[in-house]
Amino acid sequence: MSRRGARRFVADLLRGRRPRSFRAQDTDVDDLRAAITLRSAQPGSGVPREEFVADLHQRLADQLAGKHSTEDAEPVRPARVDTTRRRLVAASSLAAAAAAVGAVADHVLTTRTPAPDGVAGPQTLVPNTGSWRTVAASADLTEGGVQGFDLGTVVGFVSRTGGALRAVSGVCTHLGCRLALDVPTRQLDCPCHQTSFALDGELLRHQLRVPPPALPQLEVREADGAVQIYAPPGPA
Amino acid sequence: MVDAARRVARMARGPGQGRSSFTKSRAEEQVADEPSAGTPLLRVVSDEFYPDWEAVYRDNVARVYRLMFAKVGNRPDAEDLTAEVFATALRPLRVSASAAEVRAYLLVTARTVLAGHWRRTLGREVTTLTDEDSLEAAPADAPTSADTAGRAAAMLAQLPESYRRILELRFLESCSVREAATAMGISVTYAKVLQHRALRAAAALREVSE
Repeated sequence: MSRRGARRFVADLLRGRRPRSFRAQDTDVDDLRAAITLRSAQPGSGVPREEFVADLHQRLADQLAGKHSTEDAEPVRPARVDTTRRRLVAASSLAAAAAAVGAVADHVLTTRTPAPDGVAGPQTLVPNTGSWRTVAASADLTEGGVQGFDLGTVVGFVSRTGGALRAVSGVCTHLGCRLALDVPTRQLDCPCHQTSFALDGELLRHQLRVPPPALPQLEVREADGAVQIYAPPGPA
Repeated sequence: MVDAARRVARMARGPGQGRSSFTKSRAEEQVADEPSAGTPLLRVVSDEFYPDWEAVYRDNVARVYRLMFAKVGNRPDAEDLTAEVFATALRPLRVSASAAEVRAYLLVTARTVLAGHWRRTLGREVTTLTDEDSLEAAPADAPTSADTAGRAAAMLAQLPESYRRILELRFLESCSVREAATAMGISVTYAKVLQHRALRAAAALREVSE
């Protein structure tokens, strides 16, 4: 009788849908298990969607910050969850598991974390071992000028504004794509997700659920007519 | 203080996004507090500690998801179950537990969540998280665990050619029945029959091997 349920389950799996519930018989179980084994071997299937990861992060942050009281118990799971079951699970086996790990210290988790950018101030990269490496001649970096550099170990952009030099990393703080300088707007654009940074490293624009942090700063100086960055040694 | 300093343990793993500036800024603050800041410690990975829940999440979300996908075979369920694991586990979690302990706890939670899923949807435990399943096994960004791919490959290798082919086309390459039928030069009706028989044969194999 449940053959049809099992077939529909497999058809749903193949369409990438959530399989519909049915009362499975023992004889169905092996078929379903084989279908799941095969389906989970499809290339790329084990990687969560980026939107899912960002969205869940946000929901968890809200939950831990107490935007929903514990009694609501539904902030993260969609409505189809049976609340009775949730409470039961939370109260029994998981409490035991938590006890095994250690005492509960709720405040550690619920402490509001600072925003990823800004609050902690920009990060400055200071490598354990580094040296001053020339990236441009002083004469070539005039007022308002910007220049990209690639030192093998570090890539970035150095600019001169109001007479002061500033250097920032040239790697997007979201997932590590290399930023490109857009000359007319004087901003650094990520080719992957339309994130943009200012030349001082501040985040200008993004489409992500969680704003990526500002670009790390690099130490920069001018010596002997050259603009130099403090960077680790590496391939020339 | 010692405990706090240990917690700055660098995250050696996790998706690129995981190394947030927050993690780094914390680390730097605390290193600066240490009297012996001149000699930075190299942290042993097995002795890792997470600085906060976000680090727990970033380092493990892809691992939990991959594990769940391998057990349910579809994205909507894998996403819901991953969400349930973190929602259930994070609140009572003690962050000062070591990374290994945190993962063990996530795994225990995942086992309970998966069992509940099957009880709710089919009334039978189709798949379970066993002691062989681990959150450590593969790097967090591997597309599928070697284990999952290996089991499917082993299963397919034991099947006759036409069975193997239809299952590959439908399950691994996500072809429609029509596309699979065209690729194999058979009718759509026969492709459906073949797929059904092939899956039964694959299921029977598993019974023998287990």
